[in-house]
Amino acid sequence: MSGERDARPMLVLRDIHKFYGTNEVLKGISLEVNEGELVTFVGPSGCGKTTLLRLIGGFTDVSAGDIILDGKRVNDLPPNLRDTRICFQNYALFPHMTVAENVGYGLKINGWPKERIRARVSELLEMVELKAFGERMIDKLSGGQQQRVAFARALSLEPKVLLLDEPLSNLDANLRLVMREEIRKLQERLHITTVFVTHDQFEAMAISDRLVVMKDGLIEQVGTPIEIYERPANEFIAGFVGYVNFMDGTVSALDAAAHTASVDTPYGAFEVSLEQKDIAPGDEVLMVIRPESVTISLDCGIKRKNVVCGTLRSYMYAGSLAKCTVAIGDKKMIIDQYNPRDAQRFTHADKVEVEIPRSVHLLKKKKERPS
Amino acid sequence: MATAELSLKVQAGSGSRIKDFLNANLINILAAVLFLLLAFFLLYPIIAVLIKSVRGPAGFTLEYYRAFFAKSYYYRSLVNTLLLGAINTAVCLVIGFCLAYMTTRGPWLLRKPLKIISLVPLIAPPYLFALSLIILFGRNGLVTRMLDLHWELYGFSGVVISQTLAFIPLAYMMLESTLMSLNPNLEESAYDMGASEATILRTITIPLMAPGLLKAGLLIFVMTIAEFGNAAILGGRTPFLAPDTYTMITGESDFNMGSVLSVVLIAPCIVIFFIHNYLLEGKKFTTIGGKPVAAEPRKITPLIKVPFVLITTLAAGAIFICFAVVLAASFYKILGVTDRFVLSNYLDFTSNQAIYNSIRVSLVAAVIGAVIGVLLAYVIVRGKFFGRSFIEMASLSGFALPGTVLGIGYLLAFSAPPLQLTGGIMILALNCVFRFLAVGVEAGISKLHQIHIEIEEASADLGASFLTTFFRIVLPIMFPAFIAGFIYTFMTAIVSLSAVVFLVSPGFQLAAVKIFDAAVYGEIGIASATTIKLVLIVMGCVAILNYITKKTRLGSAMGKPAA
Repeated sequence: MSGERDARPMLVLRDIHKFYGTNEVLKGISLEVNEGELVTFVGPSGCGKTTLLRLIGGFTDVSAGDIILDGKRVNDLPPNLRDTRICFQNYALFPHMTVAENVGYGLKINGWPKERIRARVSELLEMVELKAFGERMIDKLSGGQQQRVAFARALSLEPKVLLLDEPLSNLDANLRLVMREEIRKLQERLHITTVFVTHDQFEAMAISDRLVVMKDGLIEQVGTPIEIYERPANEFIAGFVGYVNFMDGTVSALDAAAHTASVDTPYGAFEVSLEQKDIAPGDEVLMVIRPESVTISLDCGIKRKNVVCGTLRSYMYAGSLAKCTVAIGDKKMIIDQYNPRDAQRFTHADKVEVEIPRSVHLLKKKKERPS
Repeated sequence: MATAELSLKVQAGSGSRIKDFLNANLINILAAVLFLLLAFFLLYPIIAVLIKSVRGPAGFTLEYYRAFFAKSYYYRSLVNTLLLGAINTAVCLVIGFCLAYMTTRGPWLLRKPLKIISLVPLIAPPYLFALSLIILFGRNGLVTRMLDLHWELYGFSGVVISQTLAFIPLAYMMLESTLMSLNPNLEESAYDMGASEATILRTITIPLMAPGLLKAGLLIFVMTIAEFGNAAILGGRTPFLAPDTYTMITGESDFNMGSVLSVVLIAPCIVIFFIHNYLLEGKKFTTIGGKPVAAEPRKITPLIKVPFVLITTLAAGAIFICFAVVLAASFYKILGVTDRFVLSNYLDFTSNQAIYNSIRVSLVAAVIGAVIGVLLAYVIVRGKFFGRSFIEMASLSGFALPGTVLGIGYLLAFSAPPLQLTGGIMILALNCVFRFLAVGVEAGISKLHQIHIEIEEASADLGASFLTTFFRIVLPIMFPAFIAGFIYTFMTAIVSLSAVVFLVSPGFQLAAVKIFDAAVYGEIGIASATTIKLVLIVMGCVAILNYITKKTRLGSAMGKPAA
């Protein structure tokens, strides 16, 4: 990962608070972003991710806390004196200028000589594959092309940190996938520290070195996509990133040698591999069962470990996968059956066998406070 | 047997044929009727003025135009008027821009108060400012006596100041809506790229606002050269075209020369109308829409902030003071001269009679105006017939036409049989209807644009005829537009002066004319009290309008096309 090449922190947020009137929208955010790293703020709308991005860019003042950019505190620097560049969701390209004028705007403002501007602009346009478009007006470009112009403009002055505010949300689904790959490639090639904001969890996982999951003005978890998805810190994160089935249980025994734990649930006992160190027998836990990790098959005869019986309640064929809803006792579980073409087909009310994998993540339930 | 059956069929056929005909052609019939109305009450009077200006006792002649350009008095009048327009437009644009910038980009604290004060003049007749300047700087004015000032208010500068104050809200409103529609991210991007506040203004904000600035400037220019009240009250010996026209008609009864002056006054309006259409054709910058974001206040550099705050607070302060002194003056016979607090100005019989007349005229005008406005809007938006754009242009242009022209036009057109209307309430009401048709039509058009055509199509799809759809679907949905058109027309009509001043008869005084006369004769107390009454009436209208807008918001949201 590019961040590991040089783990120098480029952007440090230290206990950031932000009030709008009496409304506290950021409640103490601390974070370090390393040089060359792509970090994504992700969370439901209203979680404060865009506000945080605007704070870093200098468009909004912090109420408390420090923003440190490349070792220097920049709290009081306005955006024009701060070495960060932002790409807005709507690109904010100047409609009265050509593509080249847009890309060269910052250079011109900063007093670059004409010849150097021309060279730099053509280098940037080549980079985003728009070399032939320099003289076009903005409204003669497609959405994807506008996105590239905005990206080139933001990179023109080689900022220390690039801020991207939902840059892909105005593109259609296929173009989004293409553009996100392009952005990621360029970002890695230029080794530019980038903060990306999105509400799309899958986009966030696909593009980032690390994710910062936010909710209600607080950071819920910071981690690599793998950590966030496979080892979510709490129920909210588990549910926010992809779909999840929860199952209550109690840890009945630990097998330190085999690295497994036994969990008793109302639906039977399960044996799961133990990743967490802080689980002890007697702990109340929540099993985090991803729909794609469960195996489903017809019949429910032989009793085996980690297998429960259920009844199929619905079967929705969607090409690459089939979504099955299975009732296990009073519990409904969503199960993804991949490549259904080559798998068993089910019909309503079939008795099915559900195998819970050993690699299930356990969330320790918070002890209820004695009141 | 067979013949009986046949005749029955024919009978049934002829009945439904009329209905079918109506269903298929109602919109065209409507358009034809409306066209005739526009032609008769809007175009015909203007043409009458044109004809009068070239018809002497011996038929066609250009003698009157020759006389106009030969006499230095008229020449001076023309120059004064154009100069007034130019200065006024420039100053209004600068102040309006500063105000709009501060209320959309400035500190939160200043936004609301500045906005309210800049819009307040809208509820007042424009000649309120002439009145307040007399109270402050007239020969017996408060400031004149306090500072022993020797500034001659009556003249060019007085007119410029009162006109500027009167047209600030228009400039502000137009520029504010332009600034609001400007994506704040554009300026933020420039800021982010290293631009200073002044650079952002120079390279981004003002270039992007150029079409809006031009549009506002042209409209203000047209309206300010045509505005009658301030120039007539404060002009003194300085000639201006609009009041000159009035003296020509009422003083010298010279309709030929009056018509020439009117034509000269229309000419710049027509030129500007075409410049406006030609220059601004398709000249609107479009940007990719994201979520609309309220512009967060920037740290504006003192270089920009100090002059902007100075200009805006001065303008807002001046407007505030003008209202305050008129209110104060309404309780004295002559403020500053007699210092006894009286209520007699409010109880004045002729003033109240004039207010009563004004309300009657405006009510009649509002009813007719709202009906015609809604129907016109429907025909303009949904109709597909030859001359549609002509109807649209005609119905929206009355607003920019100099009131004096329509005043003389109505005198010329409707003072002789077969349609003798002069001296009655109808001529005043109709004049207001067709001058201010634009407000009702605009309200209707904007409402109709919110109604998706699919609603009408759904009704037709369910088997309703055009007539049924029109009466059961369209009219109910248009009702808020009708009410808005009604109140707008009422508000505009009740304060309007420039056209009706020609049309009132001695026994039937209107409030606006009463204020004008009182101001000219120095009855400041009565002029002020009558003005305050008008302001209160208009405020009431605004309150009702706000209430209705809030009530019908649900309805309009329902009618909005999805995505």
